[in-house]
Amino acid sequence: MIHVENVTKRFGAVTAVDSVSFAIGEGEVVGFLGKNGAGKSTLLKMLCTWLLPTRGRITIAGHDAAREPLAVRQAIGYLPEHNALYEGMKVDRFLRFAGRLRGLDGARYAERRDWVVERCGLEAVLSRWIHQCSKGYRQRIGVAAALLHDPPVLILDEPTHGLDALQVAAFRQFIDGLRAGRAILFSSHVLAEVTSISQRLLIINDGVLLADTPVATLRAQATARGVDLEEALLDMVRAAGGKS
Amino acid sequence: MSGATRGARCGFCAGARAIAGREFAAYLDSKIAYVYTIAFVLLANLVFMNGFFLTGTVDMTGFFELMPWLLPVFLPAVAMRLWAEERRTRTIELLLTMPIRPLQAVLGKYAAALSLFLLSLAGTLPIPVMLCFLGDPDLGLIVSGYLGVLLSGAMFLALGMFVSALASDQIVAFVIAALFSSLFVLTGWDAFVAVADGRWPALSLGTLFCEWFSIMPHFEAFVRGVVGLSSLAYLGGLSLLFLWANALALELNRE
Repeated sequence: MIHVENVTKRFGAVTAVDSVSFAIGEGEVVGFLGKNGAGKSTLLKMLCTWLLPTRGRITIAGHDAAREPLAVRQAIGYLPEHNALYEGMKVDRFLRFAGRLRGLDGARYAERRDWVVERCGLEAVLSRWIHQCSKGYRQRIGVAAALLHDPPVLILDEPTHGLDALQVAAFRQFIDGLRAGRAILFSSHVLAEVTSISQRLLIINDGVLLADTPVATLRAQATARGVDLEEALLDMVRAAGGKS
Repeated sequence: MSGATRGARCGFCAGARAIAGREFAAYLDSKIAYVYTIAFVLLANLVFMNGFFLTGTVDMTGFFELMPWLLPVFLPAVAMRLWAEERRTRTIELLLTMPIRPLQAVLGKYAAALSLFLLSLAGTLPIPVMLCFLGDPDLGLIVSGYLGVLLSGAMFLALGMFVSALASDQIVAFVIAALFSSLFVLTGWDAFVAVADGRWPALSLGTLFCEWFSIMPHFEAFVRGVVGLSSLAYLGGLSLLFLWANALALELNRE
């Protein structure tokens, strides 16, 4: 569902993402790991058409991100980094707004709204102003808006940022429940979160994709070397010339 | 199974309407809309009343002559937040990764700003109502004067919104938009034309700017009751040009 081929993004003289390629199929939950500034968000912004690649090709659900941005946006649910929401709106009004921009109205909107409200546990805050909601609820509101149109591709940029341990555990279950029929890519710079939620890891450092490996394989390699997973990944980054 | 085609495609107008509704509600939630509307209505009415009681003529020429000097200050204040605020709160990424075209977002926001401006103009309607009670004003002149104000205001709003898309900060957006809007008025000011023509007589720069750049000849035509095609094309064309440039600026942000 997600195909990234030799994608490069340059900002002037700075190369933020350098010839990255990978593919994610239906039913896969893939974690995108890298330190701050490694190029994770830049790549996710290109996937959701917010940025255009300098070179390379991105295809989402069969649509070219550069040539058919509207079709790609309709096919993805995107939770941006920082999860900026319209603070001056009530939660219900915000969901209706997101639904209308996604072309949902009437009975279809009501059906989808009920679904995301139930799945994201938003009943208690529906009539509340967004600025009154806690960090955990705000993340859920962002995810609910991303899921409203039942997209086949879900892209979440640092979805667990600012959540406590209980909320992260709940989020893990939540993502597990969405896996069927979807390709899910989410980024984080916290290894434990990524390995506990995803089946496969993409590791990026200084814009270069260092690994595209199943979590189980990485664990086996680490065990064989007698180190823990975190140490094995740090070695990988060090070997690539990064500072970890 | 999920599918990209499950959600119906958002129609162009429906998307723009949704954005217009959200933006207008945001105006009503913010203090600036009330401050702006009250200040505009009070100032316009007070200045008109002052002139009206001095001259004692039953027409709105004084009111319309005031507008080119008020609008370049008031309308950039309405437009300044439209994109700069989205950027400050980072909601611009949320909005523009929805399945909408940049032009839909531009038109939606523009419609909201225009609605607020219309609401403010509606606050000056007691003037023509009062004139109708006091005498027999030329209603054609009043309608064409209002049309001139509306089209000029629409152009200033489009300019202010375009600047807001380029500026990083609301205040910067306001200052730049107010400056450029004022230039559209000042270049048609008799004193400016006389000074510029006098300084470079061979070039007649003042006249050149007045005829080709300033909104004043067009605006004054409306105030005189002349609704000419060239004035409609000039003001409407500039508005469309700034709206198109705004959508283009958003599109180029992806590069």
